[in-house]
Amino acid sequence: MPDLKPILLVEDNPNDIELTLAALEKSQLANEIVICRDGAEALDFLHRRGLFKDRDARDPAVVLLDLKLPKVDGLEVLAQVKGNLRTRAIPVVMLTSSREETDLVRSYDLGVNAFVVKPVGFTEFFEAIQDLGVFWAVLNEPPPHRGGGWPSNT
Amino acid sequence: MEADSRGLDTGSAPAEVLTVCDREPIHRLGTLQPHGFLLALRDPDGRIVQASANVPGGIEACLGRPCDVAFPDLEGLFPADSAEPERDGAQYLRTVSLSTPEGPLAYDLAIHRSGALTILEFEAVASVFASNHSLDALYPRLSRFVEGLHEAASVAELCHLVAVDIRHITGFDRTLVYRFDRDWHGTVIAEDGNGALPSYLDLRFPATDIPAQARELYRRNRLRIIPDAGYRPVPILREPGEDAEPLDLSQSILRSVSPVHVEYMRNMGTMASMSVSILVDGALWGLISCHNAAPRRVPLQARNACDFLTRIFALQLAAKERGAEAEQRLRLGAIQARLLGFMAEEENFLDGLLKHSDDVLALAGASGAAVITSDTCRLLGTTPRDVEVRGIYQWLSSGPGGADLVATDALSEVYPPARAFAEQASGLLAISISQKYASYVLWFRPEVVRTVKWGGDPTKAATPDPAGGPERLHPRQSFEIWKETLQNRSLPWSRAEIESVKDLRASVLGIVLRRAEELASLSEELQRSNKELEAFSYSVSHDLRAPFRHIVGYAELLRSREGSRLSDKGRHYINTIVEAAFSAGTLVDNLLRFSQMGRNALNPVAGDLNALVEEVRRSVMREVPPERTIRWTIGSLGKVNADPVMLRLVIENLLSNAVKYSRDRAEAVIEVGRLDGRSPGQAPDGDGAEQAVFFVRDNGVGFDMAYVDKLFGVFQRLHRVEEFEGTGIGLANVRRIVERHGGRTWAEGAIGAGATFYFTLPTPTAVPNPNAATRTRSPRNPRDAR
Repeated sequence: MPDLKPILLVEDNPNDIELTLAALEKSQLANEIVICRDGAEALDFLHRRGLFKDRDARDPAVVLLDLKLPKVDGLEVLAQVKGNLRTRAIPVVMLTSSREETDLVRSYDLGVNAFVVKPVGFTEFFEAIQDLGVFWAVLNEPPPHRGGGWPSNT
Repeated sequence: MEADSRGLDTGSAPAEVLTVCDREPIHRLGTLQPHGFLLALRDPDGRIVQASANVPGGIEACLGRPCDVAFPDLEGLFPADSAEPERDGAQYLRTVSLSTPEGPLAYDLAIHRSGALTILEFEAVASVFASNHSLDALYPRLSRFVEGLHEAASVAELCHLVAVDIRHITGFDRTLVYRFDRDWHGTVIAEDGNGALPSYLDLRFPATDIPAQARELYRRNRLRIIPDAGYRPVPILREPGEDAEPLDLSQSILRSVSPVHVEYMRNMGTMASMSVSILVDGALWGLISCHNAAPRRVPLQARNACDFLTRIFALQLAAKERGAEAEQRLRLGAIQARLLGFMAEEENFLDGLLKHSDDVLALAGASGAAVITSDTCRLLGTTPRDVEVRGIYQWLSSGPGGADLVATDALSEVYPPARAFAEQASGLLAISISQKYASYVLWFRPEVVRTVKWGGDPTKAATPDPAGGPERLHPRQSFEIWKETLQNRSLPWSRAEIESVKDLRASVLGIVLRRAEELASLSEELQRSNKELEAFSYSVSHDLRAPFRHIVGYAELLRSREGSRLSDKGRHYINTIVEAAFSAGTLVDNLLRFSQMGRNALNPVAGDLNALVEEVRRSVMREVPPERTIRWTIGSLGKVNADPVMLRLVIENLLSNAVKYSRDRAEAVIEVGRLDGRSPGQAPDGDGAEQAVFFVRDNGVGFDMAYVDKLFGVFQRLHRVEEFEGTGIGLANVRRIVERHGGRTWAEGAIGAGATFYFTLPTPTAVPNPNAATRTRSPRNPRDAR
């Protein structure tokens, strides 16, 4: 349907692309899914330049952004999207293998809307992707806060 | 005895008398001893302006007349030029014969200058001695003496030689060698005698016995003699109208001495005395002091021989002392080198000192030592008590401005509390070996009075004077004064000793510095390898995890889309692939978490452990099948100081283990509690933070204590996978986290009889152990918890 915004998947690993597509397909979303294979391409798409100069004027509903990407990495793409007035409203979900806390912290610092560590179990992965398609915030990880983490006395 | 030493010229007497002496211009007494006479001539005409009253022929016959007119016998004796430079000491000119009303008499004539005057002294010659004491007669003895000096091995031996020879030449009953220390206190260090007078070997005298201006006199006039303490002084008279200033007699050989001193001599039973100054490098080193029970004359030649002999002796002394000092330096250098070797061998270099106390003490010639830092105090040898040494430490690290080196032989003067332990530590030598951590090495010396050894017995000499002379004028009294003066004092630290501990300090600082550099480079290396580890785990987290995910993903896709076309076996294979890849992925996740535990910063906060345990217990119970029965007993745990995120992992691991390994029990019993007191073998750590011991106990399958060491290792499992699932990293995480908090972990168990896991954590200070009551939960069905 023409009024549906596309979903932008930025992922370089073909296996992950295939698995992610399979999951999205299973959720029966009608959105067009645009795939970019590296950070530079994703930025071109988002800023409608280069190959994507003539793309549909609507911005994607959500960007599923892998952290580790060729050319321009995920954090850099995130920084540019969130640092630009025109694009900062686009929801970005960091989709990554990384459990590294520093990545998490940086992503939240840069204004990511959600941070999803791809689970090893496929079922969870499927669920995550499906949910993300509908609403990006289901499986997000909260910003890490250290210290003060004691439970309130029960 | 010091009667002589202090003696010949001053009244040597206890304090009150001496203070009078200090003010008295003792070299200007206008009297002579009567065994000779004196003439003072004015240049250039040689007119006699002063003369002693006993001048032969009468004073009237000579005062105001030129010398060669009054004494024709002397004509042509003096060098024509009266401009001969003034020299220290009277010079023996020759023996002259004078015609006197009693007939011709022989005199030894000595000359010296005093201001504008030429002083002639005529000492009557006792003819009996003359032949025995000619230079020819003395020569063989002098030459033997000089040879003996060369052979003497030590200063003590030299001193003994000189005592024997001087006594032999002079024929006195006793000769003493008396030595000044740095503070002008004196000690009799050698003695020779015929037994007629008591031994004073090792007797001490306070500096006040020989006041400063007497010492100056001794320095300038090297030999003094009193042939008869019972003498009657002869006044020196001058021409009317002559300069009213009394004659300066400091160079005189006939000069009269203070009446107090003469009285002292009589008290001592000594009627004659002589003393010779020992000068080393122009400074007064000591005295040779001779006494005789009866009056005794010593002819000028013999005295000159004594003076000569003493000067040769002094030269040898200087050489020997320098040699001894060099030897001491060498010896101390060797000790220091040994100590450095010991320190280099030890992990903690201070152990190198502590294990070799003999060398440490010998390095400074001390009787006790201490190595002290802000938290440790190790004592060697004879020292004040631990708490007193810590007091000195406090004073050192605050008081004298953290000086690198403190050396005192009177500690209580600068640190009054030291009076209490003067017996062990009147002297202190201290080096600072670390400014930053305020560490010192201290050496102690006892009060000097306690180190005195006695060769003679001074009390013997204390027989009351039959004539009723004052008892206070006695060497014994001097010793008492000396003891009083030297209370709370130790022997002084020698230059060589101070230098050697200074060198030790430099070496220790060198070691400390080198250790610091080693540590710095080690920590650089650690940082680098930490960075590498970080990079490694980052790439593992991205690159190793992904393939496992893909395997699981594709296998799942295969099962869901093509499953219907597969045989049962094929579906079993797919299930196995999924499970295997899944557990491999989980393993990677756990590994990464483990490495993060080591790398992440610790943020300890005080918190209620019961609250945390309860929260974790609930979440663990969510995974427990409803049909299991678990009885929880959770004691009062109190507050601990820990990073809550990390501690949660510890509790999670321990509780889920307890649940897991007790699942075969009809009723699982899991107990969480806190022990009273400290963990066994645990010393309080540096900050003095208290550690509490906690435990988690279950009644599950337990383990064989033979493998207890493997429990906490990474990937160490004691059960087969099909018995109990798990990656074998949980307890490794527990240990790592607890150790990062400064705590310890250990376990007890037996096969089939359950297991108890212990861990310790720092508790917030001043929180009493709340391990009073124990709350017990009744058995409950986990279903209720949902």
